[in-house]
Amino acid sequence: MDKFWGYLNPDGSVGARNYLLILSSTLYANGAVERVARSVFGTIPIIHPLGRAQTKSDIRFTFNTLVGTAKNPNVGGVVVLDHFREEGCTAEEIVEKVAKTGKPVEMVNLRNCGGTLEATNAAIRAAMAIARKISLRRREEVPLAKLLFGLNCGTSDTTSGLSSNPALGHCSDMIVAAGGRSILAELTELMGAEEWLASKAINKDVADKIWKVIGDFEQRILQTGEDIRGTNPTGDNIAGGLSTIEEKSLGAAKKSGSATIQGVVDWAENPPDKPGVYLMATPGHGAESITGIAAGGAQVLVFSTGGGHTISHPIMPTIKVTGNPFSAKFMADTLDLDLSDILEGRLSLEEAGRLILREVIETASGKPTKSELLFEHNTGFAIHRIGMST
Amino acid sequence: MAAKTCFVIDSRDNVGTILQPELEKGAGVECEVDGRVTVIVLKEEVPYGHKIAVKPIAKGEKVLKYGLAIGLATKDIMPGEHVHVHNIESTRGRGDLAKGR
Repeated sequence: MDKFWGYLNPDGSVGARNYLLILSSTLYANGAVERVARSVFGTIPIIHPLGRAQTKSDIRFTFNTLVGTAKNPNVGGVVVLDHFREEGCTAEEIVEKVAKTGKPVEMVNLRNCGGTLEATNAAIRAAMAIARKISLRRREEVPLAKLLFGLNCGTSDTTSGLSSNPALGHCSDMIVAAGGRSILAELTELMGAEEWLASKAINKDVADKIWKVIGDFEQRILQTGEDIRGTNPTGDNIAGGLSTIEEKSLGAAKKSGSATIQGVVDWAENPPDKPGVYLMATPGHGAESITGIAAGGAQVLVFSTGGGHTISHPIMPTIKVTGNPFSAKFMADTLDLDLSDILEGRLSLEEAGRLILREVIETASGKPTKSELLFEHNTGFAIHRIGMST
Repeated sequence: MAAKTCFVIDSRDNVGTILQPELEKGAGVECEVDGRVTVIVLKEEVPYGHKIAVKPIAKGEKVLKYGLAIGLATKDIMPGEHVHVHNIESTRGRGDLAKGR
């Protein structure tokens, strides 16, 4: 289990999918984007409520997310739709960055085209041409070292920290041992686990960065003046037996396994090539977190859940696993892998890690997740923001 | 590993996780405390996945799971009692406490 079948991209990355993205650069192009995506077979729409009248730092968040999503190895081609010319996040700026990957990318501006219907026609024609071109691509067998693997958890309960998260840690360790990279994120849910994470850092500089990035995030929470309890741990976490954020964090951190933490990266930043685990600065919000990880270039993500979940990123297959025997039954439609045998005493954590790895390799090689089959592409894309609207 | 009714992860822990549904008050659960298997009697009904104290925990003392602190006890807790948001509290990310400082 050290290879998968993927699409070799011109920039050397390998895609687990060959998606054609219809991307909205500002929310006022969302309508046209959805119309184009409904009209052209096999396209994936990316819409969002941002891209305009944001603080400069938040515009950069939005821009980096959209660029990173379009650059993701799973995207074979892109059509960007734009409405206004918002400095810092125009279609021109997005296209300039994405074109450097060598993948086909086109741009349509609603104002320059004579309105939303004329723009729709132009974008449909552009999308059809790209779709026919990228349909000729074929999968090739590549080493697992080409995988950038996302780790996330949500609707956690006490089974998460005892079963699915440590099993996922074993899977991550095997990917890193094969020369791949993993991304751990969700800073809120690492408060209380700093010492354990820092002990796995490659050097003191990275250990200090782990403490700082989690500490800085906690400061933002403290500045609200509000009690975090009830929003994190969330109501469903508490119903599932998790009492405090520290308890949730110590269970959540287990996803990162025992491999060395090589570095700390920013939201949507592509980690360096060196094998290992990287900590990405994202909030605990599931959709925001996996959006940051996908924009950082991850091809596949495993989402470990206790209470069950529907989350799925539009272009990064989101494999959902649970160790809770009850969730495995009542959320079976959207959960890909049942690991409840761990707590039943029938499956070791190492064996469970190998089961997850097999699912990861099969999914990276083209097997659709249940949520992909159900077109639940709209449950996992959200862009983090810090400031106010301007 | 056989299925556990009460999972104590680390020998330092003073709580264990209940992994059997619908356990009622008075039920005896086996768990490993300080390297010895003992039976603890539940002082109340405990839902699946929730925690019980496996050692006495004094008010203000650290509650330990994974061998690390997950919060502080807000009252004295006896073995067999349900341990949750009603008797332990978090010390992290508490904007309400920071505001009062």
